[in-house]
Amino acid sequence: MTAAPPTSTPSLCRRPSRLSPATAAIFALVGVWLIGDALYIHAKAALAQVLLERAFAAEVASGTVVKPWSWADTWPVARIEVPRLAAHAIVLAGGTGQALAFGPGHVERTPDAGEPGTAVYAAHRDTHFAFLGQVAAGDEIVVTRRDGATSRFRVTHTQVVRWDSSGIDPAAPGRHLTLATCWPLDSALPGPLRYVVHADLAN
Amino acid sequence: MNVQTMDASLQTSRSEANGSEEPSHVHSRRHHPSFPIGVAITLALAIAAIFAALGGARAGGPTTGLPIVSSLADARIGSLLLRDGERYVEAPRLATDIDIALSGPTLRARITQMFNNPTANWVEAVYVNPLPDGGAVDTLKMVIGDRIVVGEIKERVEAKAIYEDAKRAGRKATLIEQERPNIFTNSVANIGPGETVVVQIEYQEPVHRTGNESSLRVPLVVAPRYNPAPVVQTVDFGGRGWGRTSEPHRDPVPDRGRITPPVLDPRIEPPTNPVAITVHLNAGFPLGDVKSHHHAVKIDAPADDTRVIRLDSNVVPADRDFELTWTPAATEAPSVGLFREHVGDADYLLALVTPPLLADAQKEALAREIVFVIDNSGSMGGTSITQAKASLLFALDRLKSNDRFNVIRFDHTMDALFTDTVAADADNIARAKGFVSALQASGGTEMVPPMRAALSDRRGQDSQYLRQVVFLTDGEIGNEQELFDTIAAMRGRSRVFMVGIGSAPNSFLMTRAAEIGRGTFTHIGSVEQVQQRMRELVEKLESPAVTGLTATYTGGAMDATPGILPDLYRGEPVVIAAKLGALDGTLEIKGMIGARPWTVTLPVAKAAEGTGLSKLWARRKITDAEMAKRLRQASAEETNKRVLGLALEHHLVSRLTSLVAVDATPSRPEGARLSRAELPLNLPAGWDFDKVFGERKTNDHRINDQPSTPTLERRADAGSVPVPVKPAPAAFAVASNTSAGVALPKTATDAELKLMAGLLLLVLSLLLVLSRHPRHHTAH
Repeated sequence: MTAAPPTSTPSLCRRPSRLSPATAAIFALVGVWLIGDALYIHAKAALAQVLLERAFAAEVASGTVVKPWSWADTWPVARIEVPRLAAHAIVLAGGTGQALAFGPGHVERTPDAGEPGTAVYAAHRDTHFAFLGQVAAGDEIVVTRRDGATSRFRVTHTQVVRWDSSGIDPAAPGRHLTLATCWPLDSALPGPLRYVVHADLAN
Repeated sequence: MNVQTMDASLQTSRSEANGSEEPSHVHSRRHHPSFPIGVAITLALAIAAIFAALGGARAGGPTTGLPIVSSLADARIGSLLLRDGERYVEAPRLATDIDIALSGPTLRARITQMFNNPTANWVEAVYVNPLPDGGAVDTLKMVIGDRIVVGEIKERVEAKAIYEDAKRAGRKATLIEQERPNIFTNSVANIGPGETVVVQIEYQEPVHRTGNESSLRVPLVVAPRYNPAPVVQTVDFGGRGWGRTSEPHRDPVPDRGRITPPVLDPRIEPPTNPVAITVHLNAGFPLGDVKSHHHAVKIDAPADDTRVIRLDSNVVPADRDFELTWTPAATEAPSVGLFREHVGDADYLLALVTPPLLADAQKEALAREIVFVIDNSGSMGGTSITQAKASLLFALDRLKSNDRFNVIRFDHTMDALFTDTVAADADNIARAKGFVSALQASGGTEMVPPMRAALSDRRGQDSQYLRQVVFLTDGEIGNEQELFDTIAAMRGRSRVFMVGIGSAPNSFLMTRAAEIGRGTFTHIGSVEQVQQRMRELVEKLESPAVTGLTATYTGGAMDATPGILPDLYRGEPVVIAAKLGALDGTLEIKGMIGARPWTVTLPVAKAAEGTGLSKLWARRKITDAEMAKRLRQASAEETNKRVLGLALEHHLVSRLTSLVAVDATPSRPEGARLSRAELPLNLPAGWDFDKVFGERKTNDHRINDQPSTPTLERRADAGSVPVPVKPAPAAFAVASNTSAGVALPKTATDAELKLMAGLLLLVLSLLLVLSRHPRHHTAH
């Protein structure tokens, strides 16, 4: 076993043998970092919801805006629940990328849920709105607003649209709720299409 | 990918190695030298494969049957499709040649635009054309074959009627209208199939000078603008059914449809509108450094005071301003320039005088209260926000300990860092730097509220402070007038210094806002310019201003402009254009540099011959008249009368006058259709398309009364079947489709991608480790 002296190994073979562990280590490090980053996105999304639940409860109790953490640039505006799927999430003000990392966003310039017009909530397809694909026509969506008002919506239909031609009219007659996420639901790449779930207020 | 599989593969390779040592050794000997490269290639291929697979999944994904048009690749380079009813036709093309002859204090630019119609139909081409805001546009020529039709100046309404008549009658016609002092619309009617119509526009402009440096700027593209939505009237009910509507609000951008041409998405479309530029620079003094700031150029030097500047690459896409600066060979530029021109029965004079720099004046400088305002709206996305942040950080570093300051950021919302200005101590400056560094560009551009906040003077009684507002923006808004009104009403003792950021800022807004705010306009067009330009600005902020300037003429009547000479900052010259009754007196300019009086006397008879001075005088008088209206010093009727008189007499395009040229002979046969084509513009260099149009979309759904052109659609692909999923550039949707609904935000994270890439790398690293095992066995 030890008989083969190291010098018998041609130098051609030695060079890569020093390189490949280094390459392997770099690949492993970058790989671990990327996986960590991916997990962080999910962890952040999950943890934020816990903090948001608290802030939202405080808001409903106090009737004022409560920031979930001191440096937050957004705040909870509503709690959304799909009882059949036991899915729920706290909706944040604004549909910016920063807010969407923590929870569904209430798209700017659309009315509050339950008010006349169409309220639009959007969230990431792989975190908070991962359940959206299972939502079917007839499902009930319950929205509790910051001011404590609760509205019940009934899903009417679902649709795939382009982000810039959604056809959603925030001033449409009646009271509607639209939930939006990226389409296709299982894709990993960003694209121009959105999956929207339309619901009408049920009395 | 689970651990078991990996273990299994580990076992396999081991047993193989044990079973046949020698082949394994040979194998490793043959392949190991290139192994890292091989791995890199494998990795790249694997990642590419994953992306392709995902892309495929995306394209094939929708089960709803929505077709995704993938024919973008089929689109012919440089062609644009225009939907005319149900058919698609190619849009006309435009190539531009700009020739600038610069002599002494003025320049004359000749812009030759070639409109080519590659389609089989008759078209009307409409091009939204940028021109310098100080330029006097006085000549229009239309060349058809070997005929030249010279344009005439007419009242705007009349010119439009003449043009429309010609258009209907099938005659070729060109119309140049002013939308803003720096935005003109150029319409060319009845370009036949395969035909090229050449349109030539000429303008006169003064050369800009600050300190030792002279400059000229040719805007090549009108940047997309943020146009705030009109305010809707609300109703207050008294309680018995009778109500009262609120004050009727005007739309802040009444002409929004005229200043929002389609914009190409540079990721989809190749750049369009090629431009060639030649500058014949005849400075009148030996030249030192001549520099083009944003374009590569070739410079020839036939004489020591003459240069010929040409683009290095012959043509460039019209996507950024062309900026040329030059300095004298001597250390100091001449401090006085005096030029005259005789036109009709009047003499016109142009005087430039640079006040001296006083070495000891620095000490008299008061402590300052400075409010920095930074625009972080979507149009600033890309390189602009980087420039703005770098500029502001530079200025923060130069604050003195006895100064007070605050920082305000805005998009369609705004935040002030401190509730009031604070002392410029190390703590506060550090906080401000953190605030600025964290800014990201997104959102609309509501410029009035932050200007209002910056001008609110809480220390009005305390004359200990010199109050300055430094406003960093690209100025891409359509409601300029609202901002001017705000500055005029609230300026008080504050002075407003505009810093224009980006490759094509709205120089009209910048210049006028600085003028009303009695400050200066600094332009920063690239990151490389930040240091030098900001240093100059900071020097201006720190040095005493030249105030109380007056000009008197002993030789008789003088009609001078600007009517009220503005205050000057370090290095800036007094520029006076005047119409004189006789050329035999002296012009005396007086003012205060800091606390010291300053006088200079110029014998007018010694003036050198200049050209185009009357046009510059008239253009400047028009600017004065418009300014008086803005400041509510003159009524609208009075202003209109003055502007119209000046423009018609001096043959200038203005808000109220247009140039129109009509061919005498009809060319379009009766019955042949004519379609209208708005020529698309490039997105200014360094801009982020999504930041502008992704954001703007959200505002547009409110604007239901926007005059749209629903029959006009531009498509990037060559496919002709209308499909529900539009592959057209978003700009088209913005321009023509206002009822598209709420724009939905991006709702995809890259978590999955990262996870997959990470796992892939881990597997590869394991494979790498494993691949070494066989050799270890042979070594044992």
